[in-house]
Amino acid sequence: MAKSRSIRENNVKTGKVKYFQAVWQGGALLALSILLALSINQLRPDRLPLMGDWSFKAKLTTPDGDRLDISFEEAEKLFMKKSALFIDARSMDEYVKGHILGARSLSWHDVDRRFIEVTEDISPDTLIITYCEGATCELSCDLALFLLDMGFNNVRVLLDGWTLWTKGHLPVEKGNGVS
Amino acid sequence: MLTLSARFILGGAFVYASFDKILHPAAFAEAVYNYQILPDGLINLTAIVLPCLELVLGIFLIINFWMPGTVVISNLLLMTFIGALLFNMARGLNINCGCFSTTAVESSMNILTVLRDTSFLAIAVYLLYAIFFSRK
Repeated sequence: MAKSRSIRENNVKTGKVKYFQAVWQGGALLALSILLALSINQLRPDRLPLMGDWSFKAKLTTPDGDRLDISFEEAEKLFMKKSALFIDARSMDEYVKGHILGARSLSWHDVDRRFIEVTEDISPDTLIITYCEGATCELSCDLALFLLDMGFNNVRVLLDGWTLWTKGHLPVEKGNGVS
Repeated sequence: MLTLSARFILGGAFVYASFDKILHPAAFAEAVYNYQILPDGLINLTAIVLPCLELVLGIFLIINFWMPGTVVISNLLLMTFIGALLFNMARGLNINCGCFSTTAVESSMNILTVLRDTSFLAIAVYLLYAIFFSRK
């Protein structure tokens, strides 16, 4: 009886010690990891700034400092002269409901699957304008950066493109006749 | 023997998962950003610290060092990963997991990704039990 009580007390004591260990070891482990991480980052040539600029504006600037966004007026002129290819970064459902006349659909969410199918006949120098809907929509920006990475060197983004296009009563079409 | 295997499997997974992220911090920061969970100010810091935390956890699990603390943090980390995956799957975000590789070669996160992380969590929970509650 006394022995089992002693074992129980010992177990409780051991358990408390382990909880205490977990707390200080967990804290020390986190501190060690942070120290190691900051040291590695400091020593590497391609170090990351501790606070990066992940704003939408920063995303729209290429590493060379060029702005990717294009004004509505400029996009309209290029459309009228037929000197740009528009690519819709929204979902296929939204594209089918309505899109810029002649635009192709390359939904950002399907980009891995559909990229080759949609772009195989586009020359790398073609002026491509990506667009989506909403002032904070980043799909067109993500798609533009992806296209630049894939070797298309003349890509621009029409921010809030679909909204501006319909408000400007410019030509649109429905269905999925084009890609 | 079971505890030893659990430590090596989980530790090995953590160490393996940390390598690519440590080698490509900018790509991993992009993966963290894509989750759209953290505020902008914490993205780079997370991308810098998280891979090293995984590396330290992995090494400590393998060499059986500071086990109570290591196992608790491992459980918390895996629960955070699974929570982030489920949250983004629930809101329909189609992004790369960024779990073991920062390249786009890794498939988008799906239910298999969650199951894989859940199996790691099961191992971590077993270790938690073995360390805190087992009477051996």
